[in-house]
Amino acid sequence: MVTIQLFGMTKMLAGNQGTLSLSLHDGKRVKDLVSVIDAAYPKIGELLQKKKVLVSVNQEIAHEDLEVNDGDEIALLPPFAGGNR
Amino acid sequence: MSLEQVTKADQPATDDEAMLVRVQREDFSIDEELKRVRRRSKRIGGIAMFLGTARDRSKGKDVDGITFEHYEGMAQKKLREIRERAIKDFGVIEVLVLHRYGEITIGENIVLIIAAAEHRAEAFRACQWAIDELKQITPIWKLEHTPEGEVWVEEHP
Repeated sequence: MVTIQLFGMTKMLAGNQGTLSLSLHDGKRVKDLVSVIDAAYPKIGELLQKKKVLVSVNQEIAHEDLEVNDGDEIALLPPFAGGNR
Repeated sequence: MSLEQVTKADQPATDDEAMLVRVQREDFSIDEELKRVRRRSKRIGGIAMFLGTARDRSKGKDVDGITFEHYEGMAQKKLREIRERAIKDFGVIEVLVLHRYGEITIGENIVLIIAAAEHRAEAFRACQWAIDELKQITPIWKLEHTPEGEVWVEEHP
């Protein structure tokens, strides 16, 4: 079971939940995590596929082939917006 | 205890590096932050500053207020990276990076960058790079409150 922190619009798309708890059965890479999210929350899944929402592991943007381990800090990061230039 | 004593006690005893990179709910004093940077070195001869404030219009729509959300831990980590890279890559003496979170009223301060160097050219360059980089890599999100509802802002052109 992995816990994923949500921010901004992803929180809203998950029904105003701050975190998701998901079980990874088929593979433990970031792309497997994305598949599990896609099945449960297709709107978030679509944004992940389009790379509009990124996955971070241990506070760094993660490549889809990165393996997720127990105790890793995982989050979904929608587009950052500190403001317009 | 007088008000003055309370204020002094609340301030950190030493100006450690942690104070130069902060994500905080409360407003900041530009004067105090400038003093904090100036205390770091007597070689400083030029200081450039960027202050971002809350606008009442966004993409042609009225905005009544803004809420900033941040990823605690990662936001601070990215701001520390920006400070360190600005000092290393632009040859400036000191850089301060502050960002507020929570609800912000129109006209209030949001973000402050101060870059201090021996000369103005490096200070300007480091300051501009730091605010541009902040918007690219820092996990901070902006929710605009408009008369038509709330909108998460996506772009940072």
